[in-house]
Amino acid sequence: MRKVSESVEEMLLDYLDGNLTKADKEKVEKNLQEIPAWRARYEELRSANSVLAEIKLEHPSKNFTASVMSKLNLYQAPRSFSLWNSVRVLAGVLVAVGITTVLLAGGLYDNSNTSIDLNQIEIPKQLVKTPLPSFEFSGKLIVNIIIILNLAIAWIVLDRAILKPFFQRRMEAGH
Amino acid sequence: MTNDPEHSRIERILAGEQHLYAEMVDKYKSYAYTIAQKILQNRPDAEEATQDAFIKAYHHLKGFNRESKFSTWLYRIVFNTAISYKRKNKQQFQSLENTFVEYRGEGEGMLEKTDRKKFLNLAMAKLNEADRTALSLFYLQEFSLEEIAEITGMPANTAKVRIHRARLRLADELKNILNKEALTL
Repeated sequence: MRKVSESVEEMLLDYLDGNLTKADKEKVEKNLQEIPAWRARYEELRSANSVLAEIKLEHPSKNFTASVMSKLNLYQAPRSFSLWNSVRVLAGVLVAVGITTVLLAGGLYDNSNTSIDLNQIEIPKQLVKTPLPSFEFSGKLIVNIIIILNLAIAWIVLDRAILKPFFQRRMEAGH
Repeated sequence: MTNDPEHSRIERILAGEQHLYAEMVDKYKSYAYTIAQKILQNRPDAEEATQDAFIKAYHHLKGFNRESKFSTWLYRIVFNTAISYKRKNKQQFQSLENTFVEYRGEGEGMLEKTDRKKFLNLAMAKLNEADRTALSLFYLQEFSLEEIAEITGMPANTAKVRIHRARLRLADELKNILNKEALTL
């Protein structure tokens, strides 16, 4: 049997709820007599409606109110890093990143290179037969890495300690 | 601001008359519990979540902005608390195959009614929590569509459509369940 359209289903539900105008009601009743698909869907909806009418108010245990009242003063707000403290940490991290970036852009770290020569370490000659390597470190590269790490920390603080608790509290407060 | 008669009682509770809150708990506990039960489908968890919601509501009374009815505000807290419980205890919840259905040994005369309840629970379990709660509140006939939308966090202008769709889905689920039942006879 061909299914009825969504708009017909809407109309049948409104008919069941008694929300139709007199003219629409008559139109639905006429179609119910003439169109088998309408009649079949109406019967399904009417049957579901009668089952849904079984939904009744449910009641908690008899000592429910006493139990709530006895726990009222035991309530402790969930301990968490406060939102303002998180904002302060985030601000601190961002200020540190900002200052470092300005210093970096100003060329402060351009010439701060250093190298570690492993040959300078005092090791008995019999243990080392070939010359050891030396490593060059660029101050600029290290500062760039520190800035990236700080930005990652700032992102985590923003997500976990600020945005997540903020939306969770809003949801729990029911606003 | 609404003219909710509860506002004066709330003022007195905030002023220190804590015992008055017991009257509010008594008044709203059944609807609150029904909401939690529809979401959690488990009596002990629903009771615990409802108690938790009442305690939370008490401690946030100061933040209740009087723009909505107290009951709507409270039921929204119940709804959110029950949803949090469901998420926390997800692994403990039954699958559809062993959905909680309560039999109370009411004798053979109640068989048809018990079956209808069983089929209703099975079909309802196929809906999501918000639709299940909205549908239950709609059939309890105590709430306007706006209130149902506020409690379940649906946009107010879509509440009617959502409820209609949930009713259509439920009708289809019931038909499937009854067809399966018929095949096993």
